Amino acid sequence: MARGTERWESRRDTWLFAGCMLLSVVALLMPASWGTTVAAALRTTALAPFVWLQELAAEGRTSRSRFRAVASERDSLAELSRTLSGLVEENAQLRSLLDLTVRTGPGFIPAEVLHQTLPTDGRTLLLDAGRADGVSALDPVVTPEGLIGAVREVDQHTSIAMTWAHPEFRVSAVSANGQVAGIVGPTSTGDASRTSLEFRAITYRDTLADGAVVVASGLGGVYPRGVPVGTVVGVEREQQGWERVYRLRPAAQPSVAGHVLILHGATPLRIPAAFAVRPDSTDSMPAAPPAAVAAPQAAPMDSAAKARRRRRLRADSVAAAAAAEAAGPAEPAASPPPAMPPAAVPAVGDTGGGTR
Amino acid sequence: MTSAKAANRLQLTVALGLLLFLQFYVRPRLFEGRYAPDFVMIGLVLLALRSGPGVGALAGFLVGLASDALSPARFGAAALANTMVGYLAAQTRAFFFADNVLVNAGFLFGAVWLRDLIVLVASGSGDQGLATSLLIDAPLQALTTALAGTVLLVLFGGWFRIRLDQQ
Repeated sequence: MARGTERWESRRDTWLFAGCMLLSVVALLMPASWGTTVAAALRTTALAPFVWLQELAAEGRTSRSRFRAVASERDSLAELSRTLSGLVEENAQLRSLLDLTVRTGPGFIPAEVLHQTLPTDGRTLLLDAGRADGVSALDPVVTPEGLIGAVREVDQHTSIAMTWAHPEFRVSAVSANGQVAGIVGPTSTGDASRTSLEFRAITYRDTLADGAVVVASGLGGVYPRGVPVGTVVGVEREQQGWERVYRLRPAAQPSVAGHVLILHGATPLRIPAAFAVRPDSTDSMPAAPPAAVAAPQAAPMDSAAKARRRRRLRADSVAAAAAAEAAGPAEPAASPPPAMPPAAVPAVGDTGGGTR
Repeated sequence: MTSAKAANRLQLTVALGLLLFLQFYVRPRLFEGRYAPDFVMIGLVLLALRSGPGVGALAGFLVGLASDALSPARFGAAALANTMVGYLAAQTRAFFFADNVLVNAGFLFGAVWLRDLIVLVASGSGDQGLATSLLIDAPLQALTTALAGTVLLVLFGGWFRIRLDQQ
């Protein structure tokens, strides 16, 4: 009798194991869209309490650790905003003189990253902002350092971002001076914490020095122009004398990012300025630290320097306005930011590049 | 006898609830990065050791499905990995003295490493990334998980003890 029960239990265990294995293999082989649907259903039902608990924990941790940084950034921004109102007024006057439409403002949604324990965490990130917060699919995800990726799936209160470490990630990119354009994608090393980026499809005649900053080109309409993607650290390979592939050190690391910004809606204003990328610099020049963070440490500007800065900003605004004017009577929604010189705008349409 | 079994089940349920709380609330507050201990894996291995291969496989499948939903780089990879880990953990208890704390720590180390191996292979990682992950990242996470599991077993060992009448 005992032997019979034992045999039945053994058979039951084998059937359970075989059933679970079969279901796992089916989940692995079924179309990605089905997996996405099942995952979203689980996140919003059975796993919702656990996601909520993790959101609470992430908020608690980051609110403590970021308090001092936020306070110093707020002080810096308060200092900057004193001089900004005059520039905004002046810009509005110049734009009205040139018959340009009002530039749309930035839209972003802050979100905490809810890291998981799987080794593939970093290819996709679970974010604690969702449809209820205004997040949409394909919204770009950035950190103060640069590009992280784009939103792939959106639930009511959470969303999944595909990062640059994902094998399917691609972004149309350009060097900071706008002279070398190509496609950036992850190397095939697999592990999200070790993956670096490749700057591909560079014609053999174009060269980039080590340290050159590469930014999103804005082509394709997913990633706004000017978001830093990475820094050139050498040539990865050369193919048959017609293409050179550069290795990039990523600007932002998804596997350690704790807090991100989801850019949403209108094309954000002055993206390169927000990341302090200097398009007028040589390619070998590294990006300066973000202005808002660097301001407290910076030496006080004398009046002559302030005047020079204002003159430069005026010149940039006029140059960008002239470029936009030359392109057409009304300014397009994804026009180049004013900090970009006219020469930095590649003469191609909004048809290529970005990952969909 | 029946009340003792009910008490054991209650203890196990409370312990698993505690592990879930540690995973989703304490771990994000205290640890950053990939090397944080995986408390769900601790729960899975201890449950599999206590309950048998079938329940271990089923629990592994459910845990894996949840992992896939929360980190959907390749849906199904974690379900496959955790199913195998749950089943194998329960099977190997026949060959070791599974009530020993150090043996449990060894089980946990092996389980995390095996889970990472299967997840990375099933999600199509490149050779270089696979080697780096299996030789550096996975052992470090496995080590922290084994240490955390050892601490929990020292504190709540009686709750997870394998009883011969239940084997």
